[in-house]
Amino acid sequence: MKGFPGFGFERRKRELQEEIEAHLQMAIADRVARGETAEAARQAAAREFGNVAIVQDVTRDMWGQAWLEQLGRDVRFALRQLRKSPGYSITAMAMLTVAICANSTVFSWIDGTMLRPIPGARETGDLVSLQRGERNFSPTPPFSYLDYRDLREQNHTFTGIIAYHNDWIALTGGAQPERAYIANVSANYFDVLGIKPALGRFFLAEEETRPDAVPNVVLGYSLWKNRYAADPAIVGKSIEIARHPVTVIGVAPEGFVGAAPGLRDDLWVTLDPLGNDVFRMTHREIVWLIVIGRLRPGVSRGLAAQDLDTQMRHIVATYPDQHLGDNQITLDPMWRSPFGANGYMAATLPILLAFAAVVLLLTCANVATLTLVRFVSRRRELAIRQSLGANRMQLVWQMVLEGAVLSIVAGTMALALTVWTSKTFAWFFPANSTPLALNGTMDYKVVIGIAVSSLVAGMLCSALPAWRSSHAPAIEVLKAESASVSGGSRNRKLLSGLVVAQIALSLPLLICSGLFLRTLRNLAAANPGFQQDHILTASVGLNIAGYSNDEARLIRHKILDRVSALPGVEVATLTDWIPMTLIQKRTDAYPEGYVPHPHESLLVENAEVGPRYFESLHIPILEGREFTQDDDQKTPDVIIVDQTAARRFWPGQDPLGKRLRVAGSLSTVVGVARISTHTFVNESPEPMVFISYFQHPGFETMVQVKTEGNPADLTPAVENAIHEIDARLPVFDVRPMRASTQMASIFAVMESTLAGMFALIGLVLAATGIYGVVTYRTQMRTHEIGIRMALGASRVDVLRLVLLQGLWLTGIGLALGLAFALGLTRFIAQLLYGIGANDPVTVVSVVMLLGAMSLLACYLPAHRAMRRNPVTAIREL
Amino acid sequence: MSEKDTYKNRIELLQGTLDMLILQTLQWGPQHGYGIVQALRLRSGDVLQVETGSLYPALHRLERQSWVQSEWKQSETKQRARYYKITAKGKKQLASDLGRWERIVEAIGSVMYVKPEESES
Repeated sequence: MKGFPGFGFERRKRELQEEIEAHLQMAIADRVARGETAEAARQAAAREFGNVAIVQDVTRDMWGQAWLEQLGRDVRFALRQLRKSPGYSITAMAMLTVAICANSTVFSWIDGTMLRPIPGARETGDLVSLQRGERNFSPTPPFSYLDYRDLREQNHTFTGIIAYHNDWIALTGGAQPERAYIANVSANYFDVLGIKPALGRFFLAEEETRPDAVPNVVLGYSLWKNRYAADPAIVGKSIEIARHPVTVIGVAPEGFVGAAPGLRDDLWVTLDPLGNDVFRMTHREIVWLIVIGRLRPGVSRGLAAQDLDTQMRHIVATYPDQHLGDNQITLDPMWRSPFGANGYMAATLPILLAFAAVVLLLTCANVATLTLVRFVSRRRELAIRQSLGANRMQLVWQMVLEGAVLSIVAGTMALALTVWTSKTFAWFFPANSTPLALNGTMDYKVVIGIAVSSLVAGMLCSALPAWRSSHAPAIEVLKAESASVSGGSRNRKLLSGLVVAQIALSLPLLICSGLFLRTLRNLAAANPGFQQDHILTASVGLNIAGYSNDEARLIRHKILDRVSALPGVEVATLTDWIPMTLIQKRTDAYPEGYVPHPHESLLVENAEVGPRYFESLHIPILEGREFTQDDDQKTPDVIIVDQTAARRFWPGQDPLGKRLRVAGSLSTVVGVARISTHTFVNESPEPMVFISYFQHPGFETMVQVKTEGNPADLTPAVENAIHEIDARLPVFDVRPMRASTQMASIFAVMESTLAGMFALIGLVLAATGIYGVVTYRTQMRTHEIGIRMALGASRVDVLRLVLLQGLWLTGIGLALGLAFALGLTRFIAQLLYGIGANDPVTVVSVVMLLGAMSLLACYLPAHRAMRRNPVTAIREL
Repeated sequence: MSEKDTYKNRIELLQGTLDMLILQTLQWGPQHGYGIVQALRLRSGDVLQVETGSLYPALHRLERQSWVQSEWKQSETKQRARYYKITAKGKKQLASDLGRWERIVEAIGSVMYVKPEESES
């Protein structure tokens, strides 16, 4: 009797039924033939045969392969049961879908940013990024070429060490000049990362320092596709970058965007392709490389750090003058690497994931409540099934299966939703000048995460009713009186416990959300120390487009003159840095005559700025003066310091006239500027020095314009003015400063948006949870309430009875929730600004909000109970 | 009543015995489930009354092991029923079951019916 279990099973079932039917017919026929009446014969035959259902069951067990069909039948039964209560099923599924989707979305963001720091690279777990000296949240490139080479050749703990340096470059040639993000890389770059070329080849070892007349370049996949139309014969062709011809030797595979986490490289060249950067290739004091190493198998990070540190000490001992300051080597795993965009993610995203997990727990509590309520109203049905022969395990299994079906469907829907929501991460990043490549991804890890959370959710939701059903004494339940006991005191306690849990979980969520919102408001209202309205900035590609230093200098002067003359412009100046865009530049600086201690950190932030820079931003010069057009290369170097720097270098003295050794030259302090925000409004102040743009031009040329009216209105005028000087000049990133500084608050926005969403979900869940339970319990007590009213209780007494019950639960929940909140808010304390982690105003308002919602949720069923006719109430059972 | 109970117990304990009885019944010709019950009852003088809850699983198990074969036929009373027929394998199994049964009976017998120290000669 073989055959596909599905079809064969149905057929065999039918045949068995026929066989048994035939047996009965023949038995009846025999009895009738012996003289019994038809009716008596039928009854006697049936009695003699026994329980048809059980015989069928026992016989079917003999068929083997029963479990698959059994499972199919059980699942179909579960589906039928769920269809019978559509309200419950849909509500539970919707809630679970939202909760699981929230978790998987945040996880997909973490996966896309932190867990895949270098997409396309092999075994990123073995890669570490190197820092030298004082550890920083957003460090500048820490290594010189010769130091890197020594470390690469003399270490014992790495299979390979690579170095790279990022810059903007202009792709000239072709119809439209385009700006691209280029990386100068060591020859072993692609090899150590484990990347294979999609076309052509990568760099050879000897190319690293060999200067070429026509250097080699490797294109990134999207650049190749977009600008060069995926030309299959691109290898060997010549293109132009910064007005210089280069040869394409290969194309990187799709998906690889460079070794800086979260940033997108467009193309790669060797470290000194033209041979004209000799200075920084041969001087150990010029630091410009970011270094990543691949650990040898079995070597720990601690061991490798020690090894490199020892090497570095030798180098420092041999060349002490070129290594002033702190030189300790520290290693970070790539997911935490401070180079690139990941450092910021590591602070925010895990906290958001924790929030999402709390929401999931809340949802499970809510669904468990609904399930328990439903279970209690099905007590009779289950008791009857039990008395018909179903054993406890079967009932428990049925509960578990229903929960599993709900959570599997919810998980599938969450999966579909996450495909879209994972990509919404990029919405948080406003247009800015960093080539961010940050977004969530949907890969197998996220799918596994969804499967696991669905499973856990399903188990949590059905565990309680399953456990309860395994203890239900059938006899008691079938007795009529038991209906008036609100589903048993055990169930009542469970329900109360669940409601309390829900309130306790949503309170911390609401408090955190409130704190984040206040933080965001504080950040927006905070004074950054400079005036950012009415400022327009525009970047001009000079060095990156291949203009020589002399050409660039001339052009800059012309730009300044022209733009200053435009109508609507109050002040025009130059700068190479915009504050609060998550970009910082640092350099070593120390006062004249000061002998730095061997490992003392000398880093200060710096920027190159033009005349009237501080005036354009309304930053007061407390002492001395601003730069002027006369502070150029013919006059002695001058410098303006901010208050923090002044206090650091010359505490208690007047800094004017003092000299500071910065970037290889001795500069005289001519002004002290007031402190202002560099990156975050809540940063701890770091010393900053300002160098005159015309003395040491910055690599970026940015025109900063203070306008009378709306800065955006002047965009075309500024662009035209620059193009009038040279039509080929690339002009880009023309924006009001307000738009750029939004970068500084993206994390606060992210946190408050998501926390707010989660908190709202939590509030709705808690409110509906209380409402459901109180309604249910009031219903169960209708009989009792009727008796009370008949015995003389007034309607108000009834109202009070029901309300008290609900409020009591709320009170306990709030107390527990407060205890949680006070313990947990410390974890978000570092993300707050202008508000304490236990800010009483926030806590009190949240408690009141939750309390009010609970009151409302309890009042509605109480009101309904109050208006019941006592006569019908007593009759209800 | 109590006799019937004892026999019933014995049949349940020695599941192979029920198989053997069914196979033996089928030696006399193909039969349906009801018929087998009646036949066993008749032959054993109303002593062996097999429960349908034991019979039908046994029949289906015998069929799965290819000791019997089933076929839908019309009975004498024009009742469509499933008839079971013993197969060649079933006959061999019956023979071995019978041999084993006899050995067990003899063994039990030699324990139960020990004659008190009486020599033959």
